[in-house]
Amino acid sequence: MIFSELYSAYYNAVARILREACAHPLSKAELRKIAAREAFGESLLNIEPAILDGRWQLLNADGTTPLRHAPTMPMTLLQKRWLKAVSLDPRIRLFADTDFGDPDVEPLFRPEDIDVFDRYSDGDPYGDENYIRNFRLILEAIRERAPLEIESVSPKRGTNRYILTPEYLEYSEKDDKFRLAGYGFRQQFVNLARITRCERYKGKIRYPDGVPGIPEKKTVELELTDERNALERALMHFAHFEKEAERLDGRRYRISVTYNPEDETEMLIRILAFGPLVRVTAPADFTELVRERLARQKKLESIENGKSAD
Amino acid sequence: MAYYELIKNFDRVRDYMREFYLYGFKSRSEYTQRSARSYDDERRRVESWLGDYMRFRQTREGKNVFLSIDSRVSRHNPLYAAWKTKSFTDGDITLHFILFDILHDPDTAMTAGEISGETDAYLAGFPEPKMFDESTIRKKLKEYADEGIILRERRGKSIYYRRAADCPNAGSEILDFFSETAPCGVIGSFLLDKTEPHDDPFAFKHHYITDAMYSEAVCALFGAMEEKRTVTMRVIQRRKERMTEREAVPLRIRISVQSGRQYLLAYVPRLGRISAFRTDNILSVKPGEVCGQFEEHRRTLERMLPHLWGISMPESADQPPEHIEFTVAYGEKERHIHSRLEREKRCGTVERTGAGSSRFSADVYDTAEMLPWIRTFICRITRFECSNAETEARFRDDLRAMYRAYGLEGGEDE
Repeated sequence: MIFSELYSAYYNAVARILREACAHPLSKAELRKIAAREAFGESLLNIEPAILDGRWQLLNADGTTPLRHAPTMPMTLLQKRWLKAVSLDPRIRLFADTDFGDPDVEPLFRPEDIDVFDRYSDGDPYGDENYIRNFRLILEAIRERAPLEIESVSPKRGTNRYILTPEYLEYSEKDDKFRLAGYGFRQQFVNLARITRCERYKGKIRYPDGVPGIPEKKTVELELTDERNALERALMHFAHFEKEAERLDGRRYRISVTYNPEDETEMLIRILAFGPLVRVTAPADFTELVRERLARQKKLESIENGKSAD
Repeated sequence: MAYYELIKNFDRVRDYMREFYLYGFKSRSEYTQRSARSYDDERRRVESWLGDYMRFRQTREGKNVFLSIDSRVSRHNPLYAAWKTKSFTDGDITLHFILFDILHDPDTAMTAGEISGETDAYLAGFPEPKMFDESTIRKKLKEYADEGIILRERRGKSIYYRRAADCPNAGSEILDFFSETAPCGVIGSFLLDKTEPHDDPFAFKHHYITDAMYSEAVCALFGAMEEKRTVTMRVIQRRKERMTEREAVPLRIRISVQSGRQYLLAYVPRLGRISAFRTDNILSVKPGEVCGQFEEHRRTLERMLPHLWGISMPESADQPPEHIEFTVAYGEKERHIHSRLEREKRCGTVERTGAGSSRFSADVYDTAEMLPWIRTFICRITRFECSNAETEARFRDDLRAMYRAYGLEGGEDE
């Protein structure tokens, strides 16, 4: 069962508290600090009195504990089965060569139990030895904040050379691709599948003064008419963005979605996918982008109609 | 009942979280299904768990509460927090830590009676020590045996208990990644809670997080598939605000990474065919009998898949699919459009019809499901044909409506 107190934030917080108390008598301040860090906003109001009033009889008045060992709990069957399922995912090779997980348990799910049906088909080559090597080197460099020297080939810009300190790897489930985000003279993204050479950089990076600029996010405002279940479809579709929805009247809603400027074209075609049920109302330059595409389509239609008439 | 941060039942708070996260435009007075008190309590809980993401807006109708989460920025799914809020009794938590301390060594095996005696010794130092009788301890040990963390072994007439052997945890980077990308990722989040604090090296783009709230049902469906069982599901029909019970044989979880929805594809004996259920409408799953035709149903599904664009299932595997095709034109510097068709198509074929044009064609059970994708090529579509006249009319009518909406007037030439 997933919804179990065994996995609860309170059990985890108390385990951390008791681990400290096994090492040395715990002060109230330490208890509060751990509870605040490990649990939720209001949890301290429950955890502290429950322990100090002796309702949870785990900590003595002097901050010691009757426990003899720092608390541990074995992995549950559910956790073992999930890990086993993960070990069957082809992407696991990016992280480990050897099998892991309990050999005696059945996986929670098998590859044939799931079907991601709208993922793009040109995902990264997770079985490619060079790709795996680069992935691991980058991961190590992120951990150590160590600069990298990278060469990559792009169809548009040819060969590029980057020297950057890697920050994180960004994975898109839709594209099934990883990108490296890092800082050199500015924030840069490099598609992992396009990297032809990746090594630790031995020299020193000279960063520009100040924080490298990150482009400001943009917001598009939409007016939605709730027909054909459009409201739910749109709110689900744009759910991964920072967004806000407001009802205008019975069936009309205003939705604002905040996105990264580099994704403007993608945002544009995603809005077009909703057809006449979603209309861009602001900003004007975004509205113009939609209008321009529609005008081009209308022109193509007249050509098509003209051909049919011939 | 006085407010308490933890909860016994997940269903109610899940409904509120869904409303706050997906919709977020309702005021307090519009939450009419339950009392105002219930709304206040659930809102306060969600605020305590997810305060960083909670936003408020004042409208004429009142204050609207909503959750605004940019999942590209938050490295871990914040909604997992809700799964870590199960309530428990004072006795539960006290006994939990003492039990695992007594059974710290995996070689230590004790009877419930012996454990009960030891427990008393742990509690003797407290002014009003709790008492745990043998049956309470036995019940808790059985619970833990079901979870796989305690082993039971019979020696003569007695049952001995000892801690289950642990299994090495996966590395934190594996957990960071798969807790966000694998089904039932919340379990990975539970495993992450066992690791030391660390910087997470991953961010996620196009990352839908709502399915996390339905993990329990999906987990039970996987269990049924593993054992090839029929299940009885409690399914909500949201538009009609009605609850129904459905018997089905779960065959596959079909996941969309473009719409944020997950579906169960299952054989429904009452209908005699395979149907799709949205997993966020499945409120509970009860396993039933083993289904002797499980493999046969799966083979039927396999035969259907090449003609499925989304989740609209045919009446039978023999239903003839509809035909659809469209041609797009692109310029010299827009050759990527052909690649787009290749990479984004889920079935069908793409062929070049000229230096700057490509045609997509497919035979699918429901051509209407393809329209949103086809619209993403607006400004390039030179030809569109569909064997389903309704789909074709909708495509053309929608285009005209869009022209009107953006001041390009009707479909006629100006």
